[in-house]
Parts: sequence; structure tokens; C-alpha cells
Amino acid sequence: MEEIKKGKPFRNITKFDQLGIVIVLVALVVVIGISNSNFFSQENIINVLRSTSYIFIIGIAMTFVLITGGLDLSVGSVMAVGGILAALAATNGIPLIPSMLIGFAFGAAVGIVNGLLVVKLNIPSLIVTLGMMYVCDGLSLIITQGTPVYPLPDDFKQMGQGSVGIIPNVVVVAAVLAVIGAFVLKKTQYGRSVYAVGGNRETARLSGIDTNKVQISVYVLSGIAAALTGILMAGRLNSAQPSAGNNYELKVIAAAVIGGTSMFGGSGNILGTLIGALLMTVIENGMLLMKLSAYWQSLIVGVIMVFAVGLDQYRRKRLGLSS
Amino acid sequence: MYILELNHITKKFISVKALDRVKLNLKKGEIVAVCGENGAGKSTLMKIISGSDPFGGYEGQILMDGEEKRFHSTRDAEKSGIEMIYQEISLHLDLSVAENLFMGKLLRGRFGTINWKKMNADAKEALALVGLEQIEPTQKVKTLSTSQQQLLSIARAILKNPRVLVLDEPTSALTQSETEKLLGLLKGLREKGVSCLYISHKLKEVFEIADRITVLRDGKYISTYDTREATSEKLIEDMVGRKINVMYPKVCCATEEELLRVEDLCVPHPYMKDKNIVDHVSFTLHKGEVLGLAGLVGAGRSELMDALFKVTAEGVTGKVFLAGKPVTAETPKQMKAAGMGYITEDRKKNGYIGSASIMENTTLASLDQISNGKVLNARKERLLAQQYSDLLAIKAPGIDTHVVNLSGGNQQKVILAKWMMTNLRVLLLDEPTRGIDVGAKAEIYKLINNMAQKGIGILMASSEMPELIAMCDRFLVLSEGKIRAEFTKSEVSQEKIMAAATVVH
Repeated sequence: MEEIKKGKPFRNITKFDQLGIVIVLVALVVVIGISNSNFFSQENIINVLRSTSYIFIIGIAMTFVLITGGLDLSVGSVMAVGGILAALAATNGIPLIPSMLIGFAFGAAVGIVNGLLVVKLNIPSLIVTLGMMYVCDGLSLIITQGTPVYPLPDDFKQMGQGSVGIIPNVVVVAAVLAVIGAFVLKKTQYGRSVYAVGGNRETARLSGIDTNKVQISVYVLSGIAAALTGILMAGRLNSAQPSAGNNYELKVIAAAVIGGTSMFGGSGNILGTLIGALLMTVIENGMLLMKLSAYWQSLIVGVIMVFAVGLDQYRRKRLGLSS
Repeated sequence: MYILELNHITKKFISVKALDRVKLNLKKGEIVAVCGENGAGKSTLMKIISGSDPFGGYEGQILMDGEEKRFHSTRDAEKSGIEMIYQEISLHLDLSVAENLFMGKLLRGRFGTINWKKMNADAKEALALVGLEQIEPTQKVKTLSTSQQQLLSIARAILKNPRVLVLDEPTSALTQSETEKLLGLLKGLREKGVSCLYISHKLKEVFEIADRITVLRDGKYISTYDTREATSEKLIEDMVGRKINVMYPKVCCATEEELLRVEDLCVPHPYMKDKNIVDHVSFTLHKGEVLGLAGLVGAGRSELMDALFKVTAEGVTGKVFLAGKPVTAETPKQMKAAGMGYITEDRKKNGYIGSASIMENTTLASLDQISNGKVLNARKERLLAQQYSDLLAIKAPGIDTHVVNLSGGNQQKVILAKWMMTNLRVLLLDEPTRGIDVGAKAEIYKLINNMAQKGIGILMASSEMPELIAMCDRFLVLSEGKIRAEFTKSEVSQEKIMAAATVVH
């Protein structure tokens, strides 16, 4: 009886989630760095950061979506269409900024449709965005007839390929967005609503939060983030390709989940997603450097992801959150 | 000789006795009604009899034909000829009517394939038994109305040729004519020697159908009557007859100033067409008043509150005035802005956010108060949440503790704190002390008093009658969606409330 009354001391194990992944990341960096000196070369580090940024920019928005308890599988193909639309506009003489806005507008429109379908018709986000993924895949092929849009105007290229000092533009953009994203999530009423909707939608609604608006808005964010990434990548490659975003949705979701964002909603953060995205890129990069078969890459990412979700489930059980 | 005999059945949940030495017996070809308030132990007892008690384990004896039985599953009970029809319908919605009827013993033809032709024909006959001639055996169950589903589960039970049929509130979803049909059917089964245990708190039905009536209260056996000797006064007295404790620190501070006026509020029934679950309800709530809403489960109390807070809006008609002004709000957000708060009966479902801290839950409805513009002020939030946590004496290691880790009483206090922090004028309280221990209950009563003293109007629904009677200034009794009676503090009694709540028209 005595023991029952005392109970266990409360412990916030949320904090340890990322610690585990950070240890994995550091260990990987050390092992790869020791076995191949090129890993720590300036060029390679810049490379890793650049690749990470493409995943991470969408990852920031995806973190919002996942925290509300949703999922957005359409980001990969929205990325392709967004890049294509902006590139087409630019090659037809429209200045850079308006061209980009066209891409963003498309991303936002897809987000609104996704959000409305989830909220108004109560269709699971998995189904809605899976459908939207195919729709946008089709769109990208219809628009381009399967051939990439290239070459692109110089300012478009410059945006994708340029750098601030030695830091590539895309890395700068990702860093700025990460700071804004983390601030909004942790320090604003909107961010708190995002957590509340994912934690318990009905409680949030009865506490006076416009849950529909919050849910729709996160899909708009992920749509715009995907279009932006597509535009940056098109500039970098000097061509907008219908296959640009292949598999990106899965990489992005994997990054967020590895970083400790819960697929059940209610918890997660931007820093975790950054670590997740870095981890995925480092594995890919390290294998390349160590001349290991690329086939192993998927296997390892898969194992880490399942491990991360397992950890999340375990944590929820400890907290008594499992349904 | 009894076909079924229960002796000294005791059932404990951890330390609470849900049933305490209950006895009950049933003869062949007899209908015995089991009556009692919400929480009297009726459903728990029926679950033990039918082997469906999810926790297993009870003390006492169940005898069938004088032979001791112990049912570990519904299958055990069915083997002995006991069939249970649950309050909640347990059908497979995506399967056909015939498949549901013959679930577990589908008719096989040659080669072991299912003999659909024979099964559908047999199903047609079974449907006719319960007055569902218009239903096709091939129809999916989800296309049936709630009352048709209820009748279907009865047909399914009858098909198994039970010796004892157990029905738990079978008419709660039925219309008047369907109820009569069901009662007629049960009388027919009685002629054939089938025995029935009939749980209901609708006394009119009980008087019509039962041979004997057994009353339970607070998990204890109270009395058994021959229906001819019983009167509704006597039954009601037995159902409620207990002393009121003195743990209620009631302070009266009701005024005459009108705060909330509801006129002709109607809420359509979620499953049944052309029926209202809240039916032309009108009342007034005054400043500083605690208005009690009494009624049995399914009377429409929670639905009334849902409609007032605009949680449900579809098909709701009627007028609501807050401090004399008509309410134009359409969402909970706007109702909150107008000064209303709502604490629901199910904390876990829509009261708190388990994955969030005490602090985050407390400030959830008052984010504007802890923000500069739309940006949260962490210091202000911490300060305010701590202040309310101290004020309400929330017991936890700190305000960063997750709400899931708290006891029920402390969770309820966090939810109270959330609403006290808002600009509250009217509070809807649904079962404010459900699942809370005695000590925490008294603290919550004190908080309710404090709010009333500040001039907040409180509409409080509770199934615990002593609590309701002690805490409220005035009482409305709801039954089948209508207000059946209104009592002042001086004229109210548990018997009067129960009599009004069990009226069937």
C-alpha cells in the first residue's frame, strides 16, 4: 500500500527523445569522419548542409502538420509542380519575384484544398493528401509533357546556386525559416493552438480555439514550403523537372518522426526535425563517401525510423497517453 | 424452484463496492423488473449474470435450476440459456441483417458453403417476430434506424431459444408504438415459458410488464414486490431513500437578476428522425444562482448543454438571451467570448489535453490574457497559472506536470481553473464530481460556491441527487427531453425529483 501511495516521481522524458537521436548522429559523424577524411572537408560539409536544407524547409512545415495530428503526403509532388510553374513563368519573361509568387500560390491552393477536405468532409489526411499527391504528379507531367523546363533565366539560377559568403542561399533560407518556425510554434498563440489541436481537438474547440482554421492553415504552410523548395531546387539544377520531388514526402516525414515529432499529434519541435533531416543526409553522404552500396541506405534509414517511432510509443505509454 | 437464483453477489472495483450482497431470483415464465437510480448497480449485476463483466471475479453464488454456475464469458452464459440484450447496441454495422442474426452459426449447405437462401428465409421469419417485416435480410445493418437495430438485437437473442432473456433499458431508443410491440413480444415469450430480467427506470413499462419488481440502491438489494402490491411512491422511496450527508458547504447567493434566458430550445435526436432529444425547453438562470438539472441518463441534459455552448448547432432551434441580449454566437469560441464556460461530463474526451502541462491547460482558454499582441509572454503565463494552481490547491509536483499524471480531482480542478481564468458569467457544469474522491469533491463544491458568490450563474447537471439537492438553489427535472417539473430549494426532495424523472408520456 505504501508504495502505491508514494507513486513514481514525475519525469519529463520528452527531453530525452532528441538526446538519443543526437547521440546516434554524433556517433555516425565520428565514425564516418574517422574512416574518411573527406567527410570533414569544407566542400562536403556544405554539401551535407545543402541537401539537409531541401528536406528541412518542408520539414519545418511538416512538423506543424504532424503536431496537429495530420499528415501531408502531397509535398513531394507539390514541390515539383511549384518549381515547374515558377520556372515556366520565369522563362516566359515574368520577373523572378512574381514567378516565385505563382509557385507559392499553387502550394497554398493545394494546402487549402487538402485542409478543407480533411476538416469539412472528415476524410483522414492520409487519404486526402495521398490523392493530392497523385493529382499533382499528374499535373507536373501534363504541364511539362514529361520534359524538364530549362534553361532558366540567370536571376532564377543565381537564386538557387548563389551563396552568402560560403553558405549556400538555400541553407540561409532554411536557417531563417527554422528560427521563425520555432518562434511561432513555441511563442505565439497560433503555435499553442497547433499543439492544442493535436493534443485533443475537442478540448481545443471547447476552449474557444478555431480548430478548423488551425488545421487548414498547417496544410497551407506545408504547400507553400514545398513550392519554395521546388523553386530553389529548380534554380540550383537550372531546370524544373517533373520528378524533382520524388520520395521527398517520405524523407520529410521520416526526418520529423526521427526527430521526435509524434505521428499521433500534440508533440514535436523544429530542432528535432533538423536533427532528423541531418541524420538522414549524413547517412546518405557517409555511405557515398565510404563507397558502401546505396542499397544499404534505405535499410538503415528504415531501421532508425522504426526505432524512433517505437521510442515515441514507449514514451506515450509511460505518460499514459496511448488510447 | 427458481430457474435463476443469485445469492450474496458482491463486486468490488479496487476498493469501491459496486455490488454488495445482492440477491435476486427468477421463476420459469416470469418477468422480473430491476429498478434503481443511475449507478445503483443494475448494469453491473446484469453483466455478471451474462458473463460479460470485463473485469471478472465476484463473490457470491449464481444458481441455475439449483445448480451452481460460474460464467467466465458470454459463451458460458449462452450455453446455460442466458441471453443478454445490451443497452448499447452490439451489432456488426457493415454486415447484413441475416448475417447478424446468425452470427456464429451461419447455416451451411452441401460442400460447407453458406446456404444463403435458407438463411435469408429463416431471417425473414425471425424479423416478423419482432415486427420488422419491412426489413430485407440482405440489407446492411447500418441502414437501419436505432430502434430497428434494437429490435434486431432482440430478434437475434430470441433465435438462440434462451431460457432467460436479460434486457438492459431496451426501450431507451424506441418510440411509443415500438415499445408496445416489444412489451407484447415479451408477454408472448412469457407464455412460452421464457423468463425475463427487465432493467428499466421507466416505471410505467415496469408496471405493465413485470410480475415482480426488485429495487437496488447504491449496489445494495433493497426490496422486492409483487407488481400488484407495489406503488410508484413506494418504489421511488426505495430507489432514492438515503440520508443526505453534511459535506456540502452550500452558501446561497442567488439574486433575482436574469443572466441567461432560454426559450423553446429544441435539439434533434442524433439517430431518430422526427424526434427531439431536447424538446421545447425554456428556463431562466439568475446571477449568482446554481440551477440544478436533474434527470436520468438519456434525458437530454448533456445535449442541452452542448446546444447552449454551440458544440452542436445543426438543427437546433430556439432563442437564448445572455444578460438580456439575444445570443448570436455560432461557435464555442464566440460563446466563450460572450462569457460562457462549459465543463463537460467526460474530462478525458474533451476536458483536458493530456499531453500538455497543467500550465498549458490552465491558460488554454485565456491565451489573450498571457500575450502581448499574439505573442505569448512566458513569464505572465507562468505567474498566472501558478496563481490559479495555488488558489485551487492543485496537488502536483509543479505546473509543468502533464495533466494525465494527475488524479481525477486535480484534473477537474485544472479544468475549473481554465474557466475561472476567463471572463466568466455563466458556467455549464455537467457531472462536476464524476469519478472524484470524497475529499476533492468537497473542494470542488467550495469552488462552485465561490463562483456563485462572484455573481456567476451556474447550470449544474448531476446524477448524484444528494449532491444536486445540496448544491443548487433551484431545480429543473428533465425527462425525455422535456422539463417535467421545477422545484425550489424548500420544496425539493429526492422522491419528488425521481417521480418527475421517471414519468413516461
